[in-house]
Amino acid sequence: MVEGFLGIDVGSISTKGVVIDRDYRVRSSRYLRTRGNPINSIRQLLRELGQDVNSGVRILGVGTTGSARRLAGVMVQADVVKNEIIAHAVAAIHFYPDVQTVLEIGGQDSKIIIIRDGIPVDFAMNTVCAAGTGSFLDHQATRLHIPIEEFGTRALRARNRVSIAGRCTVFAESDMIHKAQLGVPTDDILAGLCDAIVRNYLNTVAKGKEIRPRVLFQGGVAANVGVKAAFERALQLEITVPEHFLVMGAIGAAILASEETENKNSKFAGFEIADIAFETRVFECDGCPNRCEVVETLREGEVIDRYGDRCGKWSG
Amino acid sequence: MRVTFPYFGYDTFALKGFLEDLGAEVVLPPPTSRRTVELGVKFSPELICMPFKITLGNFIEAIEYGADTILMAAGARKCRFGYYHYLQEIALKGTGKKFKLVPVTQYSASDFIFRLMPSLFDVSPLRVSRAVYLLLAKSALTRDFRRLLNRKRALNFASAERLIKPALNVITAARSLSEIKRAHQTLKLMFNLNGGKPPLRVGLVGEIFFTIDQFANQEIEKKLGQLGVEVIFERCLYHHLRHLLRVDFGYLRSRRLAYYYLQECPGGEAIRTVGEAAWFIRQGVDGIVHVFPFTCMPENIAFEALQRLCEQSGVPLLSLSFDEHTSPTGLVTRLEAFVELLRRRKRGRRFFGN
Repeated sequence: MVEGFLGIDVGSISTKGVVIDRDYRVRSSRYLRTRGNPINSIRQLLRELGQDVNSGVRILGVGTTGSARRLAGVMVQADVVKNEIIAHAVAAIHFYPDVQTVLEIGGQDSKIIIIRDGIPVDFAMNTVCAAGTGSFLDHQATRLHIPIEEFGTRALRARNRVSIAGRCTVFAESDMIHKAQLGVPTDDILAGLCDAIVRNYLNTVAKGKEIRPRVLFQGGVAANVGVKAAFERALQLEITVPEHFLVMGAIGAAILASEETENKNSKFAGFEIADIAFETRVFECDGCPNRCEVVETLREGEVIDRYGDRCGKWSG
Repeated sequence: MRVTFPYFGYDTFALKGFLEDLGAEVVLPPPTSRRTVELGVKFSPELICMPFKITLGNFIEAIEYGADTILMAAGARKCRFGYYHYLQEIALKGTGKKFKLVPVTQYSASDFIFRLMPSLFDVSPLRVSRAVYLLLAKSALTRDFRRLLNRKRALNFASAERLIKPALNVITAARSLSEIKRAHQTLKLMFNLNGGKPPLRVGLVGEIFFTIDQFANQEIEKKLGQLGVEVIFERCLYHHLRHLLRVDFGYLRSRRLAYYYLQECPGGEAIRTVGEAAWFIRQGVDGIVHVFPFTCMPENIAFEALQRLCEQSGVPLLSLSFDEHTSPTGLVTRLEAFVELLRRRKRGRRFFGN
């Protein structure tokens, strides 16, 4: 029986999970759509991962990350709950010790992590809007009736790249429609959109950051070869897309779990929780004018976690 | 006459004491809450900065509580803040409420002591001077309380949180110079630290309202304390008062240290932001946290200078702009990542191998 670690990365669009062994080799990985229901997607993830490895791996530690890291952590009784920036950095450094820059574009957020000598030294995240993220491409692809999987390859076929105003999704959309009405070929528009997202990313998220090679490109959008090519054109650098680019956050969480549980037993609740009913309730506390939204997580009707209040009345 | 003024972090109690020393009846608005912000946003221009919206909300709530005279700091310091009181007066009239808004100009201390306060409260300049003196002492007390609290939080978060209420009671109760002195001693005993040193220290710089008011900055000091970080700061009412009284040597230092990065003051507290950051870096902090309201022009300029400063000195910078849409979750993610980064930097070890 092999011993290993479980990492779970629950984002707004997708839910990722990996099982790695003691040498941090990926034994099994899964990429599912969250579809606005992280509880179900986490359960589904555990079910699938459990079937994959049940006979072969003993879980020594589990880590969660992503925007639903807290919920996931409560559900599986994680040993470590870390934010996605550190998780991505950890995984990147593991696979490429010489990495100096990590570009990560996910569904709803994008970030840049600056690494020097194997230590993350700086980071930035998109703040107010999602114009430089995967959902921007997703949205435009739907509008043009292009399957998102074909987006990149078709963009590479473009003969004349058109410029598309990419500051804001809404402006980009009207500009894109305008170009389409002029009769510009779809491939050229797709290439323009790849340029727009890269321009947006470099001008807002990566603004003021020094991008040095080696540059890693992670996250769901890294599947899009058009965006990768657009990054290479804009930066005049070679971009590396790691083998497990979709699940790098989960791998990072698993590695962090291995660090955390070095001399400890895991608290992992087991793959069986895939069959347990979880529920989240939100209520507004009326104790004071702050009217905090308190979030409760229930396991089979029993409250196991509460948070969200400023004063600690519920969570304290 | 029932006087009110906006919340200003822990210094609210010092200001309240000052007005009471002048014989005024003070009506404090209810503590700033989500409702305050909602009210303020409703009657504010959309792209005005958060301090405007929050203080306007404070005023509306204070009037509901029976206040009829509003004191609002004013005076052009090259940023929009200088005319806030005009706009707020117009906005408040729009709500149909009855009130008088008195701008407290920040041009000169003598005008404040000899004309404004005596005519407003019908007291002698001598009495105002005495009250100002006590206010200075009390704001120094508040500053020291905040410093002790931040350090204690980094070392033992839970016990520090339990001490806040009793400590605030001690501060509020002290009304004379000797009582303030005794309060200083009491606080030092309460927050007994025995030379403990927190693992990480960050310097907090930025716009004055956001560095001082815990509601505005979403309790950033508390959140950092919970992550085991001591927050050190310079900006507080005490320094601000000394600046108005022209005895602020910290400002001279800030100007000297900031000069390489920012020669002219673009307005607001930009020079201080940069100068204080440089000062903290000299003192060996592990990182700089910069807070300011979204759309704040001076702080955006300061941010560019800060970036250069921090890059050259190799100290990480986290710059956070706030408005009413700032999500607490996003803030926590950034703070956690920043602190983790500082921690790993300090440990200086690579994650794996090599």
